[in-house]
Amino acid sequence: MTAPGQVRTAPEPAGEDEAEAPRTPPGPPPRRVGWQKLTVLPAVLVAVLLATWLWFEQADLDALSRNALSGGQVSKALWQHIQLTAISTFFVLIIAIPLGILLTRPAFRRATPVAMAFANMGQATPAIGLLALLVIWLGIGRRAALIGIIVYAVLPVLSNTITGLKANDPTLLEAARGIGMSPVGVLTRVELPLAVPLILAGVRTALVLNVGTATLAVFGGGGGLGVLITTGITNQRMPVLVLGSVLTVVLALLVDWLASLAEVLLRPRGLQP
Amino acid sequence: MPETDGHGASIELENLTKRYPGGARPAVENVSMEIKAGEVVVLVGPSGCGKSTTLKMINRLIEPTGGRIRMGGEDVTDIDPVGLRRKVGYAIQSAGLFPHMTVAQNIALVPRMIGWPRARIRARTEELLDLVGLDPGEFHGRYPRQLSGGQQQRVGVARALAADPPVLLMDEPFGAVDPITREHLQDELIRLQHELRKTIVFVTHDFDEAIKIGDRIAVLRERSHIAQFDTPEAILTNPADDFVSGFVGAGAALKRLNLTRVRDVEITDYPTVTIDDPLQQIFNRLRAAGTNEVLLLDRRGRPYKWLRRGDLMRARGSLARAGTLVHDTVTRDATLRDALEAVLTDNIGRVAVTGRRGEYTGVVDMETLLNSVHDMLEADRLDALEHQQELEELRAAQTNAEQEGGGSVTGVGGFGGTR
Amino acid sequence: MNFWEYLAGRHQQLLTDAYQHASAVFQCMAVATVLGVLIGVATYRSEWAGNLATTATATVLTVPALALIGLLIPVVGLGVAPTVIALTLYGLLPVVRNAIVGLRGVDPSLVDAATGIGMSRPARLLRIELPLAWPPILTGIRVATQMLMGIAAIAAYASGPGLGNVIFRGLASLGSANALNQVLAGTLGIIVLALLFDAAYVLVGRLTIPRGIRA
Repeated sequence: MTAPGQVRTAPEPAGEDEAEAPRTPPGPPPRRVGWQKLTVLPAVLVAVLLATWLWFEQADLDALSRNALSGGQVSKALWQHIQLTAISTFFVLIIAIPLGILLTRPAFRRATPVAMAFANMGQATPAIGLLALLVIWLGIGRRAALIGIIVYAVLPVLSNTITGLKANDPTLLEAARGIGMSPVGVLTRVELPLAVPLILAGVRTALVLNVGTATLAVFGGGGGLGVLITTGITNQRMPVLVLGSVLTVVLALLVDWLASLAEVLLRPRGLQP
Repeated sequence: MPETDGHGASIELENLTKRYPGGARPAVENVSMEIKAGEVVVLVGPSGCGKSTTLKMINRLIEPTGGRIRMGGEDVTDIDPVGLRRKVGYAIQSAGLFPHMTVAQNIALVPRMIGWPRARIRARTEELLDLVGLDPGEFHGRYPRQLSGGQQQRVGVARALAADPPVLLMDEPFGAVDPITREHLQDELIRLQHELRKTIVFVTHDFDEAIKIGDRIAVLRERSHIAQFDTPEAILTNPADDFVSGFVGAGAALKRLNLTRVRDVEITDYPTVTIDDPLQQIFNRLRAAGTNEVLLLDRRGRPYKWLRRGDLMRARGSLARAGTLVHDTVTRDATLRDALEAVLTDNIGRVAVTGRRGEYTGVVDMETLLNSVHDMLEADRLDALEHQQELEELRAAQTNAEQEGGGSVTGVGGFGGTR
Repeated sequence: MNFWEYLAGRHQQLLTDAYQHASAVFQCMAVATVLGVLIGVATYRSEWAGNLATTATATVLTVPALALIGLLIPVVGLGVAPTVIALTLYGLLPVVRNAIVGLRGVDPSLVDAATGIGMSRPARLLRIELPLAWPPILTGIRVATQMLMGIAAIAAYASGPGLGNVIFRGLASLGSANALNQVLAGTLGIIVLALLFDAAYVLVGRLTIPRGIRA
């Protein structure tokens, strides 16, 4: 599997093979969000945007570059990119998280290893190949791109959810059952609240992954900031390439930053690290 | 550093101090202690008293901020700590075996680092495994996690002894094993020390462990201040102050039983028969013995059953059914407490003493035990009184000396000044 | 022409591409491993430096591959150079993070024991800490390798080597008879390579992780 961003919260492929499992499963690094983290990244991003803008002011653009950047093309690409990310993330979450909950219920527990194996197989599939196959199958356009992005992100978020729900302390669940909660009660009042951090991590994974995969939407005619990058590369126009790349990077880092804030702010009090 | 001739080296600590930056008071303050070569000194005290810190300063795992350390007369305070540690064995709680190395590799680490030839290392590893009571053939290639806690601890001791260091530091080495295994390991250590005569500094918070294995015990209070540094007997019978007596705890007389070994009391002979003797001979023996029972030994000479006069009759002459099984025996190295325990469990009024391979060597009976304990306590009391008297005399002498000497010191100074 | 006929006809070219793909990923991964372990070793003992290293490499990973390559092209040009740099950078994080987590996870009492029996600092690192941290590091290398397989495909757009070229050739000739064959060959080729690498890592794990610490 390709797109960057995934690794931060994606499950380690440990577990899939007993000889490989590390003694201390490396989890995500501890996050302590101080005020530095709140301010440093936005400041850096603003500085980067400002520098790019200043560079553009003095750069002399030829016709081709001007053409590629004119008429609101840049804002259109940016907007398309945000839309692709938001829509795909929405679908990833409503598919992967309920599926993850379902697969950890006793009735479906035997399907869990199958799903995990499937998810791990998916790791090996290159995003661009998946997208290209969908384009050939569904025809060029935004639909194929969106489906590609979604399929690509569902598996890691799904395996994240399963891992997290399984990691819930079994004694807690036993205690919940012991005081007479129904299975639904155990799920809604104990398991899900405990799994909130995990679901938030899933949101972040999906967002970051999708921002990345959305750059590839251009190869399926789905638009997005990838348009600027590919135009820049094919036409050898560095200003277009740099603008597209910088905007993509800024967007990706911003989305990740927002998601990390959400992770901290929405986490239940008692589960603060 | 002293020569590594295998036997112990003396250790002197002089005003050893550890002060952590930011700490209001030092963690260890002015510890001075002389440990004789070949002696087992136990540092015992409540948790947080700095006993571990003191120990770790001896091999400079913690660098002292003040004071000197001498080993075998040589000042090691400023020599290369890595070299120092290779000549000082170190065993810690839960053994600290490296999980990615086999038992043999763990033991061979230090000899390899100091460049022993391969063949010598191999021979030494086997020898050490044998020494700590593990079968080399069986345990050589095992990984630590395939061992029980007690076995790991034995390997830990073997590793500490690998390069035959004159000094062995042990930091609560038996703290993480179950009580029964701990007793065994303590017995083993005592046996080992009998052969090896290392200088051992042993840290524990368990006072019973301290009296069991220490030649001398240093009871430490906070900041490693020495409350009392003396033999276990002296500490038990004559604690220096309330802190020490509080630490000794109740039942000092019972603990005293831990200090004497079976070999120190009278082991008497007892009428025995073996399982292969003809029945008639056993009957004769029973009649002639003048005791109520005889001890039945198995084919290898190990105590098997106590036979009473009527037992054989009731069992219609079957040795398999007659008599009561021997549950518990003690070795000559066992403490009197173990012996008393055995006497009480078997309800026979005596316990059989066995040799190295479990063969019968004699018995110790209840009366002997009671008398020895009584004599011991009496002797201790006399010792204590004498000790106290000596102390008082010494103090009196000191006061006298100070009163008289006070003038003479100034006198000398004055004399020097006028020169 | 069906898929098998396509494979039969183009196997020479495909094998070359597959070899270049694997070779690029392998070499970049080797560099990333060495760099990553060095960074881990240099930073794990400081809370601050370790977290900085993790955050910095994590940030690199947040950047979409196409954008990073796009930023590298004006500096180093098209072709192998941006591919190698991007792959190495992306390969760093899992190794750095797992190296730091692994090294920090070594039981302090073992380090204490190692010091106590007279091991010098380098000996401790080489004989105790790194071997004990090796299983998580190897896991990091596996994760990173799988990821690089896909990124290398994207790098083909910047004239990088490998099976990505086959996929992009297919994309460029959408509608033609061979488009599906090309995309399928490229994609499946990458999956097969990824699985082969994974199997190789399992083997490496069996050979290099002592039995005493295997899970």
